[in-house]
Amino acid sequence: MVDVNKVRQIILKDWKVESRQSFAIYGILLFAATTVFIVFKSFNSINPREWSILLWIILLFSGLNAVLKSFLQEKKETWSYYYTLFNPIEILISKLFYNFLFLALLFLLITILMNVFMGNPIRFLPMFISGNILGIIGVSIVFTFVSLVSASIDGSHHTMMAVLSMPLILPIILLSLKVTQVSTGLLVDTSIYTDIWLLFGIDILLFGVVLILFPYLWRA
Amino acid sequence: MASLKSKYQLAWWKWLGVIIMLYVIIGGLAIPLNPGILSITPQNSRTGDTVLISVTGYNTNFLSEKKIDAYLKVDQYYGIKSLYSDALSDNSIHFAFAIPQQLPTNQKQVPASLIINSAVDGAFVLPEGLFIENKDIGRISDNELRQLPEKYFTNNAFRFPYRNILHETIRNTFFHVALWFAMFILLIFSVVYSVRFLITKDFDYDHKSSSYTKVAILYGILGIITGMIWAKFTWNTFWTNDVKLNMTAISILIYLAYLLLRTSINDEDKKANVSAVYNIFAFVALIPLVFVIPRMADSLHPGNGGNPALGGEDLDNTLRLFFYPSIIGLTLLGFWMTEILVRFQRLKHKIYLYHETNV
Amino acid sequence: MKQMYKICIAFILIFTLNIQSLQAQTNTMDFLRSTGKIYTVIVVIVVLFIGIVVFLKSIDNKLTKLENLIKNEQ
Repeated sequence: MVDVNKVRQIILKDWKVESRQSFAIYGILLFAATTVFIVFKSFNSINPREWSILLWIILLFSGLNAVLKSFLQEKKETWSYYYTLFNPIEILISKLFYNFLFLALLFLLITILMNVFMGNPIRFLPMFISGNILGIIGVSIVFTFVSLVSASIDGSHHTMMAVLSMPLILPIILLSLKVTQVSTGLLVDTSIYTDIWLLFGIDILLFGVVLILFPYLWRA
Repeated sequence: MASLKSKYQLAWWKWLGVIIMLYVIIGGLAIPLNPGILSITPQNSRTGDTVLISVTGYNTNFLSEKKIDAYLKVDQYYGIKSLYSDALSDNSIHFAFAIPQQLPTNQKQVPASLIINSAVDGAFVLPEGLFIENKDIGRISDNELRQLPEKYFTNNAFRFPYRNILHETIRNTFFHVALWFAMFILLIFSVVYSVRFLITKDFDYDHKSSSYTKVAILYGILGIITGMIWAKFTWNTFWTNDVKLNMTAISILIYLAYLLLRTSINDEDKKANVSAVYNIFAFVALIPLVFVIPRMADSLHPGNGGNPALGGEDLDNTLRLFFYPSIIGLTLLGFWMTEILVRFQRLKHKIYLYHETNV
Repeated sequence: MKQMYKICIAFILIFTLNIQSLQAQTNTMDFLRSTGKIYTVIVVIVVLFIGIVVFLKSIDNKLTKLENLIKNEQ
């Protein structure tokens, strides 16, 4: 049903469009870098707790802009053109994957920058990576869905995007934050693996719902 | 037109809702609480002392008995029996205790529960009411302090349980807690109608779904306000970092965003479609919250840290007799309000369609 | 506009009441805590009632608007 080749084509096309107007992508990366620097200058010294919270806050706010853009840049004509070429699930998966890659890249960049400026509090790297990748998957699913919804409204997309998505991603953020804090040795929790599994479950659940609901949004 | 009229006349379930709520309000306020201990003085003592404890009771009948026994319960086996009792009034009584030189624990401060065993009122307890300073830390033989009674009196009167801190506010269970249950029932209905709308594209289902959500939001906001009032007079703060509070705050935020989404789309077709999709997604995204948030911190609410309220022994049979009807009553009232909203929206939609075809 | 005006007035009233009640707060608190905090239950029921009435009133207003619309059409 899902043609991997087609998915790859859409992702490649998105990347080409993105790199053609490279100021957008560099703008977001620069935004993240500047925020990290401002945080570094205003906090001076930072403890692991603040480190992990800031990591996620910066990721959320720079990621919000990035994901919203990926849907708004498509014109109505492009959508109807897609409609004739691909089935909705292919488009959804490609968009999800693209957004995930972008957010993961952003996360990597922010982590590296924060390591450079504010030291490295991470003690258990595998836990940090696995927990945060699952978190980013969840966030990218919600962001993709909400950007689709807010693309269809009349008015300010940015405000709407923030208002709609923030309460929805809260469980994911809380869990990822907890995993991050455990991986920095800030908290000791024996049931942390349950949390990671829970994160995994949430991802699967949200992905399933988006998969079912996307065709309905798409037709509109 | 005639069929419409008969359909919307005050249906039996509307009457039922009103009658149930009347029953809950009257019964929930009229039935008294079980006897309990409001406060005692002094609250501190030392080993080797003889203390005179004056007790203020609530709904108690101290005068109706000649001699009432009280016990200071230190642990499961150890209890100090009162020497004598002296009732000043129905709600006020003095007990004298001779606290021995040594207690069976190594704690510096030993918390003791005060149990009053009255034949008229039954047995009731003030947990950790008296703190005994342990001067000589060391163990003594098990037998000396086994003064706890073999059997406690029970009070079989039809009354609500008495809980410390909560006192009469235990009645809020019928109004505050039931509000949340009713809200979730309404939200489930809303999601069901959203699904049916997506399948059939019938606008009537969209009216129903959005109306259910609106009434659910009303219940949610009322639930938060009543909860804040209740919290102020029991936990002494309007808002705590409590798990359930924050969870409900998030769910209210999600559904207020839903309302915002609806107002920001002008095209009726698109509005119905997008809001139905968002509604389903939001409901599914709420489900993990139920599992996630309790893992984050301790709660003041039932079932956490020995707090009084719902769950287990706290929701006893007398409370159940009003709590469940209250959920049903509030839900039925919610259905009624929803129906009015639905009829309003149908009318509005008809006018909208009329304009569309005539312009 | 009229709505906004009303809301503003309500807010000002609430805040002035708050300032006044700051002095009287301990008294009110004590009153609400008296007799086993039964008045807290009363306040909760009153809030419930007011909430439902305000909701019904808002539907009432919307219906009046709709009625006027129909009247003007004819």
